[in-house]
Amino acid sequence: MTATAPRVTPQTATAIAVHQLRKQYGPLAALKGIDFTVQPGEIFGLIGPDGAGKTTTFQILAGVMEATAGEVTVLGKAPRHARLDLGYVTQKFSLYPDLSIEENMRYAAGLRRVSATAFGERARTLLQRVSLDQFRDRLAGQLSGGMKQKLALCCALVAQPQILLLDEPTTGVDPVSRREFWDLLAAVAADGVTVVAATPYLDEAERCHRIALIYAGEIQQIGTLGELRDSLGLRRMEVRATPLAQAEAALRRFHAEGSLPGGEGTGADLPAPQAERGGMRDPAIVDVQTFGDRLDVMVTEAAAGERAIRAALADPALTLTDVRLDEPTLENVFVNRLRQRGLDPAYVDFPAYRSGKEKGGTAIHTRQLQKTFGDFQAVKGVDITVRYGEIYGLLGANGAGKTTTIKMLCGLLPASGGDIQLAGATDNLNRSEVRSRIGYMSQKFTLYDDLTIRQNLEFYCGVYGVPPQLRREKIDWVLETCGLVGRENLITGSLPGGWKQRVSFGASVMHEPDILFLDEPTSGVDPLARRQFWRLIRDFARRGTAILVTTHYLEEAENCNAMAFMVAGAIVAQGSPSDIKTSQPGQLIELRSRQIQAASDLLKARLEPWRVSIFGDRLHLVLDHPDEELATVRHWLDSAQIDQPSTRPIPFSLEDAFIGIVQRAEAS
Amino acid sequence: MNRILAQCGKELNQFRRDRLTVALAFVLPLAVLLIYGYAIRLEAKNIPLSIQDFDNSPLSRTYVERLFATNQFVPAPLLGTVPTAPLDRGIAKATVIIPPDFQRQVTAHKPVTVQALVDGTDVNNARVIQNGLRAATQFFLRSSGLLPPQAQSPIEAQVRLWFNPGRQESLYIVPGIFGVILWVFPSMLAAIALVREKEQGTIVQVYASDLSAMAWLLGKELAYLVVGLGEALVVLTVATILFGLRFRGDPTVFIVGLVIYLGAAVAFGLFIGARTGNQTGAVQGTAIAGFLTALLLSGFIYRIENIPFPLSFLSNVIPARYFIEITRDAFVRGTGWPGVWYAPLAIGAIGAFFFRLATRILHRMQFTD
Repeated sequence: MTATAPRVTPQTATAIAVHQLRKQYGPLAALKGIDFTVQPGEIFGLIGPDGAGKTTTFQILAGVMEATAGEVTVLGKAPRHARLDLGYVTQKFSLYPDLSIEENMRYAAGLRRVSATAFGERARTLLQRVSLDQFRDRLAGQLSGGMKQKLALCCALVAQPQILLLDEPTTGVDPVSRREFWDLLAAVAADGVTVVAATPYLDEAERCHRIALIYAGEIQQIGTLGELRDSLGLRRMEVRATPLAQAEAALRRFHAEGSLPGGEGTGADLPAPQAERGGMRDPAIVDVQTFGDRLDVMVTEAAAGERAIRAALADPALTLTDVRLDEPTLENVFVNRLRQRGLDPAYVDFPAYRSGKEKGGTAIHTRQLQKTFGDFQAVKGVDITVRYGEIYGLLGANGAGKTTTIKMLCGLLPASGGDIQLAGATDNLNRSEVRSRIGYMSQKFTLYDDLTIRQNLEFYCGVYGVPPQLRREKIDWVLETCGLVGRENLITGSLPGGWKQRVSFGASVMHEPDILFLDEPTSGVDPLARRQFWRLIRDFARRGTAILVTTHYLEEAENCNAMAFMVAGAIVAQGSPSDIKTSQPGQLIELRSRQIQAASDLLKARLEPWRVSIFGDRLHLVLDHPDEELATVRHWLDSAQIDQPSTRPIPFSLEDAFIGIVQRAEAS
Repeated sequence: MNRILAQCGKELNQFRRDRLTVALAFVLPLAVLLIYGYAIRLEAKNIPLSIQDFDNSPLSRTYVERLFATNQFVPAPLLGTVPTAPLDRGIAKATVIIPPDFQRQVTAHKPVTVQALVDGTDVNNARVIQNGLRAATQFFLRSSGLLPPQAQSPIEAQVRLWFNPGRQESLYIVPGIFGVILWVFPSMLAAIALVREKEQGTIVQVYASDLSAMAWLLGKELAYLVVGLGEALVVLTVATILFGLRFRGDPTVFIVGLVIYLGAAVAFGLFIGARTGNQTGAVQGTAIAGFLTALLLSGFIYRIENIPFPLSFLSNVIPARYFIEITRDAFVRGTGWPGVWYAPLAIGAIGAFFFRLATRILHRMQFTD
């Protein structure tokens, strides 16, 4: 399963070669000697959390920063001398908000010595291709995230670069735009342009030919999606059982007895799966994780795994409804790799002093909640209900109205219309009795950067009225969970994002609130920390805390019991993750072909374009009636002489479900 | 050259779209012009003066009338009998005490002492009051024919004021304000424009192309020179209307000097912008450096010759100092090129130096660690 590099330019065998690249910022080593090569025409993905060294790598490749040591050649030259053959899209897009679409492109073209005559022609074609040509005179500052991202791509492509460097161009952009963007990239790559892209979305990473996992300035693993999955040597089983918490406990007990004596499944001391497979015992179950309404169980092998799962759940109190085999996700690969390196932080239970609210009661309820800023309607009639003990996810792109909704619920912002019921109170949510029962962790961590960690935590203990005799214990808990014991006197401003996030979470739950609001708590945090974070959140929910969380990562929504998806201030879908996926009509088909781009072009012309998207060397098709339509599709491809060795149905991801919902809503 | 013009065009487009910057460019300079133009008065007028007249004779009353006949003093009440009370309470800056035998002694041609108590808090104005009282007394003696004719001095100095015969103070102040305004605001705008590219990350796009620091900065230099000329036009027009400023003699030296001065101001702004990383720093850097030097070390208000060493040396490299010489020449003195030929050269040299510093800082067109 090697990636098919479409075209090889004759003069260079490799488009980018990086050897032992290092970058040092003062005492901080951002890159600790990384190696990789990128072939011409390839889509190469760089995946990792914030602070892993992705942006530094891009800046060095783009020739805008010097490496400390190591060799980098881009198109056979030093990056600085290859600059005119590169297109570089940064995370902030590098657009001038006060200039129009056309002016931005003209300026970018001028910087790269594109002649005025060539510019007119290319600008028209490019803007038509991304359907921005009717907005040529609109200022870049007034564009939506998805449009900005397309414009940034056009600005990079106008000089017809041989290599495109994309540093997280899709972060915070809505799923439909993201998918369109990647379809564009696939087409660009098929034209022979080499693409190197960083993304925090693992589903996007699956659309690359090859993927490099980068963490803490080192590349952990490189390969195609298939290679990475194979290297894991594990299978993933989706298990649905009730009650879920007991099922998870049973499975954990089972694998604890099998492979982890005395451990509570922390994962930190998990032996590597290879070692396990050669062992004498039969520890088929390697890892258990709760995802909203299901359990993900990593097993060494499908049949043995299923047997083990069924044996573990053979308790009359438990009902096993479904066991399904699926491919491991990139997240599984990443997490496993980091665990092998011993990077998993220890998990410590939260010392709780009072039990939470009775589960099941209504914690948050809104009816026709609205917010208008001037003549802009940010939130348009939102109805949600969150119960105690439930994790409720509010999803949507940047600007969809998630943060505004949360702020209204916390009483930080008055609503323009509608009713809110919060912890039994219906008006004057700003009162201190109500406030003492809610916890709020904001997108931007509300810690004082120039205080030490301990001072920050003490401050929040004081603010939330934690009794003095309990403060020490609570602070110790936060420090331990964050792996910051012995470092409590560090200045908070010097911590990396993931740690700050954990300290910040600790600070917001120290007073044991009944209702917890988490606004984008996990953006930019590495997968291990993210996992641990969700585990913490689940613990709180089990004790009866109602949790409302916003995120633009759809994968994360799998952790929620219920969720709502917002587009432009309105909820377009609501329900449990499984409900949303199963209510999706039709079937998702994965089709393999060697002429993937041609197949995509053909099918996009015949079907609605959103139903077709390229994932690396595979094509995903959404068919409403697969039985009849699949034959037609095969016939179309045959008559165009496009080979199609295999098709198979695959389950919808939440992402697929939402794109379907949004597109169908637009069509009707 | 084309690339420089493209830079300049983009910069001007951005400028005109950003209302806040446009306001900063045109409203603030006018505000400064009005505040400084109307608020700064160096000549002391309408000084409150109390009189304690123990004589209360016709002659003493004539003397008092004489004191107030110059429009320098206005009467202030004495309040009680203590002559220092009005000074203590701050209602008068001076008290004049006329002795009981004033008329008798004067008519008897005997010397008489009139006591004047002057508030010395404000050193400069104390001297002005002192001289004013002396001059008024002298004039009183002459006009009442009390001064013996032989005391007439054999040498009579016949004074005539050159350049500004009406001693119009605005003619002194307003050309100086030009030096402040046309330095501070163009440099601030240029610094903000450069720093904004850093803050918004658009500079990366420029770094990732092969545009040289020189071409990039020249584009900005040109754009903000144009903006600066626009500001100059507005400020000059308003000043002409409000303060009655007119060109004296040859305006070419002013026009040449203005362009060079604005260029130097923009270059200074680019230098500050290249050095700082955020807009706050850029604004503070240009405003503090600009206002302090252009106000205090340029001869705008305080004579350059009074500045002590080593600050006096610093004033030699302040472009505002030379520009104010040019403006005072253009609007007051009117001597033209022979008078201030060196000033445009000096400003040009300093401006070139700042521009060179800015290109030095950015010459790699890369991120620095």
